[in-house]
Amino acid sequence: MAKGNIARKLQKPALIGTMLICYLFLYLPILHIGLGSVSKNYSFPYPPQLTWATFEKLAENTLYQTALGNSLLIGVLTALLSTLLACLATMGLLRHAGRHTVKFLILFIAPLFVAEVLLGLSSLIFNGLFLQLGGNLFSAILANTVHCFSYALLIIATQLYRYDWRLDDAAMVFGATPLRTFFEVTLPLIWPGLFGAFIVCFIMAFNNLEISFYLLGATPTLPSVAWGALRYGIKPELYALASGVNVVVFLVLGVMFVLMRTGAVRFGHKPERERSAI
Amino acid sequence: MYISLQGISKQYASVWAIDRVNMAIAKQEFVSLLGPSGSGKTTLLRVIAGLEKPTEGRVLIDGQDVTELPPHKRGVAMVFQEFLLFPHRTVRENLAFPLRMMKMPKAEMDERIDWALGILSLQGLDGRYPNQLSGGQQQRVALGRGLVGRPKVLLLDEPLANLDRELRQEMEVEIRRYQMKLGIPFIYVTHNQEEALSMSDRIAVVNKGHVEDFAERTTLYDKPKTAFIAQFVGRSNKFEGKVTAADGGSCTIDAGGLSLTASGNGGLKPGDAAFAFVKNEKVALAPEGFVGEDNSLPCTVRDVILRGAYAEYLLETSDGLGLVASRPRSGEGPSIGHAVVAHWASGDVDLYPVKPDLGLRR
Repeated sequence: MAKGNIARKLQKPALIGTMLICYLFLYLPILHIGLGSVSKNYSFPYPPQLTWATFEKLAENTLYQTALGNSLLIGVLTALLSTLLACLATMGLLRHAGRHTVKFLILFIAPLFVAEVLLGLSSLIFNGLFLQLGGNLFSAILANTVHCFSYALLIIATQLYRYDWRLDDAAMVFGATPLRTFFEVTLPLIWPGLFGAFIVCFIMAFNNLEISFYLLGATPTLPSVAWGALRYGIKPELYALASGVNVVVFLVLGVMFVLMRTGAVRFGHKPERERSAI
Repeated sequence: MYISLQGISKQYASVWAIDRVNMAIAKQEFVSLLGPSGSGKTTLLRVIAGLEKPTEGRVLIDGQDVTELPPHKRGVAMVFQEFLLFPHRTVRENLAFPLRMMKMPKAEMDERIDWALGILSLQGLDGRYPNQLSGGQQQRVALGRGLVGRPKVLLLDEPLANLDRELRQEMEVEIRRYQMKLGIPFIYVTHNQEEALSMSDRIAVVNKGHVEDFAERTTLYDKPKTAFIAQFVGRSNKFEGKVTAADGGSCTIDAGGLSLTASGNGGLKPGDAAFAFVKNEKVALAPEGFVGEDNSLPCTVRDVILRGAYAEYLLETSDGLGLVASRPRSGEGPSIGHAVVAHWASGDVDLYPVKPDLGLRR
């Protein structure tokens, strides 16, 4: 009896302890860099003396600004292209593939398992040889899209799986062309899924080093500049850059979370839930 | 005829979901496609809508061959079992959808929508979203969306299946009323014989992808053409046996020691295996010792099920054969345990061969 009581008393602290250990493991390095980026002694900010000096240095460095512009471009265009392609592929899979769905799906997500280095290398060779693309942004966007497409497909597919395609039937019976059906009925109901895929692809392409490295030639991006900067020691700009990128990523995720909580965005159309709510 | 289906077949992989269906429907007709689930009735409706392309055959609407036309060019409308209202649009916007697709001027559109809201008593709900409506209200909006564009034909796919019984009976009357008012054909898919019988002018009984019979509802009920219809429409006692004697006017079959006489022979010869059906309400009850008519059978009342205006007597013969008689509840009927004689006229026995050759492709 006494033994059981002790076990029960320990249960809650044990749970909380495990949770804390997991969170510390995940976030301590990031917190350390974040603290460093706003401290006078950035390499050992204990105790911290707050200053924006590292960010000022980052702002002065035109190389980082060019790199930021390029990374944004890669991120946005890759995300747009992969979301669009993945949306088309998912609709094809769910509406027309029938019993072959799984076979097609495997081929669509196989690129996930190709090492990024290999993908970068093979894209470099192929794009140069057959598409006459030297190392440039466009070539990098194409290669990143190969990688992001599979993620986008998985995200969109989990959402569209619940979409009731008979709503499209209804629209067509009532006189809508297939294109009009898509824009009037399908898109307004599935856009949150597409938006989620876009955000994830943006973050992945924005942060990508391995694929972009092979295809960009001399064009700088944030990850490649940061990697190159290592050779000259870890400069304060890198602290600012790392925490800056992390803040942006967490902000984007935070916005998504708020949108979901307030119901402004529901990921995936759930007619069954709406009906059961009556 | 206003709508004509000519030799419609639909093959999925190697299965014929619909097999050579021919139907002609007049402009003012209310037609039901009645059949069990998986019989192909919904597929047939989707072929008329253009949502499925038939493997063989032609669909004609108002004299025009629409077989190759996509759904949005057919001028049809449909009411779905799951309602399928657009969840991101209000009631008014849902009703406006077909009209917008027709590029109707705004003033006329508003007039039409108000008309639909009026006849379906949906006034005051036009700003609501579908998930803020009850099932019955959603169903009425779905019906309104089907009627508002004055389609050439309204296709209804089990529209009442998701409603409770009371609401369903109310809607049956309403739907029939709109059909007569608008004077357009309604094609109504259902697995519920009561729905089909209460609303339709004619009923097509669909079984295994083919139409067993397409006839006036009274004909279908009183003179079922096939064993399937006899079993599916109405409630009947079913006997299986061998034909012992048959001439032009009558036929006798032996069903497990029970001898049944039927008028007409259903094309059967002595020795053929046959099904015999007697509708529950055709079985009359008489006191013990009664002899007469063509078929009489001494039984015991095992149970009485009260159905309101009538009662169902579950009977059992001394051989253990079960039998049901439906009688109107006038005066005192026999009670449980009583010995009675069940009897019926030979004209009320419908005979069919056990293995009819439907000539279907399998």
